[in-house]
Amino acid sequence: MDNSRKHNYFDLLFASVTAVASFTVIIFIIGIVAVLFNESSLAIGRFGVVNFLTSTVWDPVKGIFGAATTIYGTVVTTVFALLFSIPTAIGIAIFVTEIAPNFLKTPIGVAIELLAAIPSIIYGMWGLFTLAPIMSRYVEPALKASIGKLPYLGFLFQGNPMGIDLLTASSILAIMIIPFTASIARDSFNLTPSVVKESAYAIGATRWEVVKNVVLPYSKLGIFGGAALSLGRALGETMAVAFVLGNNHRIATSLLDAASTITVSLANEFTEADTDLYLSSLYYLALILFVMSFVILAVSKYFLLKAERKYSR
Amino acid sequence: MKGTIEIEVKDLNFYYSGDIHALQNISFPIFKNKVTALIGPSGCGKTTLLRCFNRMHDLYPKHRYEGEILFQDRNILSNDIDLINLRSRIGMVFQKPTPFPMSIAENIAYGLRLKGIRNKSELVGRIEEALKHAALWPEVRDKLNESAYELSGGQQQRLVIARALAVEPEVLLFDEPTSALDPISTSKIEELVGSLKKDVTIIIVTHNMQQAARVSDMTGFLYMGELIEYGTTEKIFTNPDNKQTDDYITGRFG
Repeated sequence: MDNSRKHNYFDLLFASVTAVASFTVIIFIIGIVAVLFNESSLAIGRFGVVNFLTSTVWDPVKGIFGAATTIYGTVVTTVFALLFSIPTAIGIAIFVTEIAPNFLKTPIGVAIELLAAIPSIIYGMWGLFTLAPIMSRYVEPALKASIGKLPYLGFLFQGNPMGIDLLTASSILAIMIIPFTASIARDSFNLTPSVVKESAYAIGATRWEVVKNVVLPYSKLGIFGGAALSLGRALGETMAVAFVLGNNHRIATSLLDAASTITVSLANEFTEADTDLYLSSLYYLALILFVMSFVILAVSKYFLLKAERKYSR
Repeated sequence: MKGTIEIEVKDLNFYYSGDIHALQNISFPIFKNKVTALIGPSGCGKTTLLRCFNRMHDLYPKHRYEGEILFQDRNILSNDIDLINLRSRIGMVFQKPTPFPMSIAENIAYGLRLKGIRNKSELVGRIEEALKHAALWPEVRDKLNESAYELSGGQQQRLVIARALAVEPEVLLFDEPTSALDPISTSKIEELVGSLKKDVTIIIVTHNMQQAARVSDMTGFLYMGELIEYGTTEKIFTNPDNKQTDDYITGRFG
């Protein structure tokens, strides 16, 4: 009797401690959102929502602020980073799950995880001192001389190949998110029941045919979710991009132009924000980023859950 | 039992995970256009033996074959065998239905395309033929473009059999094809096996002795990786030579 009461008491304590830990997270989220709203209220009141989102003017001297340029930079760097990284990541995942001999699977897996472990500031330094010069000296002049001369696509590669631009930033981002996309793609591939793969081999399919027609259809939801998760990460990445993008508030049509993203503006300008309105506008940018990341994370979780429910029977 | 020998297993030994000796000195003939059943308790090696015939073990590391399996006088265990070609000649149906994530028609077209058949009208004809062959046509003729997952388990299994038949294999391997099915679906599959043997040679692994007795012409009893006895199904089930076989078929162990 006594003993069981004691058990109950500890169980209750245990339950409460874990509950408090969990609720702390929710309190933090609410607190952060509240602060973002509160601090940006001045800018929201002055510029409104639609106007702020669509205005390309960012003029601290005159005190006029709009988010379009930084949102544009964020979206462009992210989209190109995904374009570069997803095919590579899917290739890695196919190789690791279906093709590599066993003695290679583990080292490659570990190498990919190490790529994820490198702090982003190191990517930034490497980007500035190694990648940017390579881009400006070799890659960008070559792109400009080839694709830059084509109709329709040519506009992407105009201007001076300085190396500090959208292309370099997207490349750095791509390298950084490859491990995430690759590991989620690998997990999705493993959702394909091995007996279904075997039965494709059993009617005489090659590895490519098995991957293309059986493994990829099974994993498309998972890969989509993985891409969305990487997108979320790419959106919020600051340091690596800050080094190689310049901080230039304008709508750059060429990938060889410097630009800015929300995170880069925040990192560079908080110390310079000398007026309340300037500071409030930066908070407003942060709020927009928060909403974008939140939506993308929710979408990616939705697809990953759907993939799991559909196939893990 | 008289007949043409389709496959001849000679002194087959098989090892996996390094040196687990799963099959020991197995030798027996498989006759053309007959149903050969492999029976035995769980872990006796019957599925392992079945998976040697289409070299399914090759998908996984650390396995080793010794001895020979002669398929139309060629040793299919030799290194220069084209596995893609071998597997299109020796098809396989698994324990659980394994439709691919595509439509009913596409499931069958898949194997045909692998064989290089791209002509649309030929594909349509071969799909219908295969579905009729597998006794599934009347049930699916109006929903060929629906997902294969919409079918019941028994229908999925017959779809998978149709898919295997479409590429016109000479031998079809069945690995406990009814263990996941209800009795009605099971009897449909058994009927199907009986009607297919005029076109293909069938090897079926089953843990259900009644099933082996019902569908097969020849039966092999395996125990602990060895082929204990092999003969006509009638003899194995009525008057086996070996005491272990007798004990197993009369339900004294296994």
